[in-house]
Amino acid sequence: MQQRRILDEVTINRELLRGNLATPKWWLPTVLGLLVVVIFGFTLMGIMFNRGLGVTGLSRPVYWGLFITTFVFWVGISHAGIMISAILRLTQAEWRRPVTRAAELLTVFSLLTALFFPLIHAGRPWRIFYWITPFDFARGIFPNARSPLIWDPFAIGTYLTGSTLFLYVALLPDLGVLRDRTTGWKHSFYTVASLGWRGNPRQWRLQTVAGILLSALMLPIFVSVHSIVSWDFAVTPSVEGWHSTIFAPYFVIGAVHSGVSAVVTMMALMRWLWGWDNYIRPEHFDALARLLIVVALGWMGFTFAELIFGVYSLEAPERALREMQMFTWPWNLLFIIFFLTAFAIPVPLWFFKRVRNNIALMFWTSILVNIGMWLERFLIIVPGLSRKQPFVFTWDTYQVSPLEWGLLLWSFAWVLMLMLLFSKFFPLIPLFETKESQVFTTDVTIGRVTIPAVVRELD
Amino acid sequence: MVTAAERVSSHKWGMAVDVDRCTGCQACVMACQTENNIPLSTEDIYRQKRTFAWIRIERYWYGDFPNVKARFIPIMCQHCENAPCEPVCPVFATYHNTEGMNVQIYNRCVGTRYCGAGCPYNVRFFNYWEPVWPSTLRNQLNPDVTIRSRGIMEKCSFCVQRIRRGVREAAQEDRDLVDGEIQTACTDACPTNALVFGDFNDDNSRVSIMSHDDRKYTHLDSLNTEPNVVYLAQIDATGGAIGEHE
Amino acid sequence: MSTSSLITDGHDDRPSNIDATAKFAGEGRTVASSGLKLFMWILAAAAALGIVGIIVRFIDDGGREEWGYYAATLAFMLTMFGGAPMIAIAPTIAKANWARPAARIGSLASIATAITALLLIPLMFKLPALTEFSDVLGDDVRRRSIWFDSPIYAPHFWNPLILATLAVVGLAMAYVMAIPDFAAIRDHGTGWKQRWARNLARGFHGRPQQWEWLMMRIGITGALYFAMLLYVNFTFSIDLAVSLVPGWKDAIFPFYHTLGSFQAGLSFTILGIWAARRWGGVSKYVGHEQMWSLGKLLLATTLLWFYFFYSSFIVFWYGRSQADSSTIELLVSGPYVYLFAAVFLFAFIAPWWVMIWNKVRDSVWGPPIAAVLVLFGLFMDRVRIYVASWSATPDDLELATTGILEKMPPTQWPDVFDVFIMAGLPALGLLGILLATRLVPVISLWEIQQSRLITKPVRYLRTRVLLVGKPD
Repeated sequence: MQQRRILDEVTINRELLRGNLATPKWWLPTVLGLLVVVIFGFTLMGIMFNRGLGVTGLSRPVYWGLFITTFVFWVGISHAGIMISAILRLTQAEWRRPVTRAAELLTVFSLLTALFFPLIHAGRPWRIFYWITPFDFARGIFPNARSPLIWDPFAIGTYLTGSTLFLYVALLPDLGVLRDRTTGWKHSFYTVASLGWRGNPRQWRLQTVAGILLSALMLPIFVSVHSIVSWDFAVTPSVEGWHSTIFAPYFVIGAVHSGVSAVVTMMALMRWLWGWDNYIRPEHFDALARLLIVVALGWMGFTFAELIFGVYSLEAPERALREMQMFTWPWNLLFIIFFLTAFAIPVPLWFFKRVRNNIALMFWTSILVNIGMWLERFLIIVPGLSRKQPFVFTWDTYQVSPLEWGLLLWSFAWVLMLMLLFSKFFPLIPLFETKESQVFTTDVTIGRVTIPAVVRELD
Repeated sequence: MVTAAERVSSHKWGMAVDVDRCTGCQACVMACQTENNIPLSTEDIYRQKRTFAWIRIERYWYGDFPNVKARFIPIMCQHCENAPCEPVCPVFATYHNTEGMNVQIYNRCVGTRYCGAGCPYNVRFFNYWEPVWPSTLRNQLNPDVTIRSRGIMEKCSFCVQRIRRGVREAAQEDRDLVDGEIQTACTDACPTNALVFGDFNDDNSRVSIMSHDDRKYTHLDSLNTEPNVVYLAQIDATGGAIGEHE
Repeated sequence: MSTSSLITDGHDDRPSNIDATAKFAGEGRTVASSGLKLFMWILAAAAALGIVGIIVRFIDDGGREEWGYYAATLAFMLTMFGGAPMIAIAPTIAKANWARPAARIGSLASIATAITALLLIPLMFKLPALTEFSDVLGDDVRRRSIWFDSPIYAPHFWNPLILATLAVVGLAMAYVMAIPDFAAIRDHGTGWKQRWARNLARGFHGRPQQWEWLMMRIGITGALYFAMLLYVNFTFSIDLAVSLVPGWKDAIFPFYHTLGSFQAGLSFTILGIWAARRWGGVSKYVGHEQMWSLGKLLLATTLLWFYFFYSSFIVFWYGRSQADSSTIELLVSGPYVYLFAAVFLFAFIAPWWVMIWNKVRDSVWGPPIAAVLVLFGLFMDRVRIYVASWSATPDDLELATTGILEKMPPTQWPDVFDVFIMAGLPALGLLGILLATRLVPVISLWEIQQSRLITKPVRYLRTRVLLVGKPD
């Protein structure tokens, strides 16, 4: 399998800066189209602020619904960046290189999106400062540190800060390249942004050390963020379906599952939109799919344990909850769709090398996974609240309102629009990583075969 | 600043509910509605599954046909000593005061609804809409009770306005409170005296006596919430108490 | 700019393949040293004491709580010996070359797993049936278990069987991975070993087709082993611990148990390498590279240990329902609080503190220190869990309505026979492994040779680097 092509640096610069130094024809109409959806979404938020949360479908026992589901979903997607960049960087996986930037970007933008949801889902969003800022505002009280809802803003805030730094540090060498190839205001912009990057050995050393340090520092944050999100649910003893010890690692591995899938989706889009066939190659999809198989199997094991322990206690409300989740219309349909899309369809397909190397198929299976993972969160949150305790008198359910669907749509348009805007000003595939990869890989001949080889540093 | 000495209160308010006496007449529900300015649960609101009832009568059937009987359980905020709703509030809008009550501070509430999700008894109510009353009902609103705007949580307060007034009046007259002097709206209205309000710290109060009854139970013991509302189990006409709920 | 022009040949000081063959398959390694012999005799004596301990336990015929230490010892053996073969599999799947010399030590642990499976059978006679409480609660009432409506002795039947299957798969894997080495011994060795190897090598001559056959079987047995290990840990930990304690509902626990298995398996392999270097004279073949990589993994699993533990702890602690509180009290803050403190110190704090230093991980003495700490900590952890679970006897329960451990059982102290069991049974496992190393080279010969083929020390500009081929 010899896919790698030797590219010289001029070609790399030309091809990867294609979207920055010129504007592709499709770019402006797409961004404008997305902008319409985004404005529509903000209008919906305005309506919600104006009229109250009554415009959603939330009910009495089901106080949390689509917004929290979507929040968890986007926080989950955000795990892509660190999984790809930090973990694969620390484990020296060579194939990560073209994907890192896009994955980190996905982290930052999906976190920005995720943050919206708990805030707009609050009853009085204009007062959230009391909630998310550690300051007593002359009210005599600080926020309640015991509340998982306080842990959330701290965890996500730290994660967002760290990811942004991580993204920026990795962007510096490329900004230097852009600075040297632009004129006018753009030149001034890149000059400031590149922080005087010249590419001398000292700067490279600092940049590499910063990257590795940030990777290592981000790892605990990466694990903690979704654990804390999961504890929003798990620490509540009242809700039978939530109070499970497995939630933290279960959510984290589920997040990696959906996040890496989202990266696959993005890679396919990048390859198609900018024609970067030389950089995003089937072998990258192959490697990601292998990673996904491992992650998905692990995640399925956790799901299995979660369900087993759900019925293990033989308690009536827990059974009622599982019955609703799996066997009651329309939840049973959702459950089947969830199981098929998140696991049963994509994972067996990924076992075939032909599927792993087929970009269209990888694109669609990765989308399926994220449909399933969204449903998974929905199926955890809503039935849990609907069948909270044995007081059957108050059992009730929840109908998602069109406005909530509209905001779900908004979140996707918002992330895509931010991505496209970013792609106009910054390269989506890291130039320096690509060049480094060119020098770090070579071919060796053993007997009659030639195999690709990589250079590993000896300590 | 509240000093440590002031924090220690002599009262521990609570309620005892004799399920055996409850006829399910809903008088308490109406009384509570009127006393506490609770938004109207119109048909629309009902369809949205967002009805308000700080106290509600849950009705359960038991027995086999044709000997089917109804059992009524009045459920209001249980004012748990170990409340699942309290630690989860990010802004301390709900907390436990020194008199055994679980208090909701409307001004602090930002409406995350975490307390509502965390409450096992489902007795916390969220104002999805700005509450409106028809003009004919405007003048009957209780001036002692805040009207809650949209976006915040509310729940049974044990008619804290009545408690405060009772305590204040007793202090003005320089005497001790008499058991039964302070009544909540629901206990006032209960025709069968199924609902009894009082001070658990007073060993001779009716609630204290009732809480030592053999029939006493509390809801959802397994959650360790330690409610300040105790229930006395129903006695079946055929003899013997019917076990606690579930 | 072409890449290859930057790379020039580097100095290669690794022993050649011919040297390796002579060392591991030839004359050099036939006689066991007197020290090793003595050590094996000590192990045998300890094992005999362990057997005595089991017999005494049986004659004693005490309550369920007296079998806690036996259950804990078996759990520890499963943890350590069951996890070690993963070191032979996981890096193969991840195409990591560094692990190759360590694969043999890991895979041989399956011999001890087979012994564990045998030792599990007596314990099954003490495991209560699923209908344990039917006297009190009525015939159709069962205790909580993952077997739901299966026959009432389902856990008794399946647990030893599953563990035996794990051992068989592990042994098959160890054997398949040893075939090329048997072939080498057949071609270069002498005496009884050569005769044994001739039979065991099954006509392996290294034809491409044979290698393909071999690799396929390694892949299959490896994947199967991994799946079985998860499954064994799942059933074992629930049947022999969780389901014995009313109110203990802990979905993360099987994974915590499995993670402990990886942690202990890594520690076992690290110690194995260290011992092989110290007394086996293989310091040219294993050393820094393996310690450095295994050390990183050990650090990662140690951190994960804390994460998994904390995931369940915070949910119980914050939830504080009756079941939550009693579970925490039984396992953490109650009768075994000092044991828990020891676990926390030895399985997490101490190895973490040792292993965060690059210098320590990069040495041959650092990781073994952490490994010893981890193994001790995990043994204490298994004692904490299993002794506590087995001491929660039915007399203490008020299971009828709540499923909550109402009365905390007292601390169960080990007697001298428990000590015999705890020392003797792992010694028996270790003895089995050491006996196997008399025939099979302790370092995988063919893996060393293969890794020599696809790696090459070179110079990149002025830096010494390793060129690693990545065949499909």
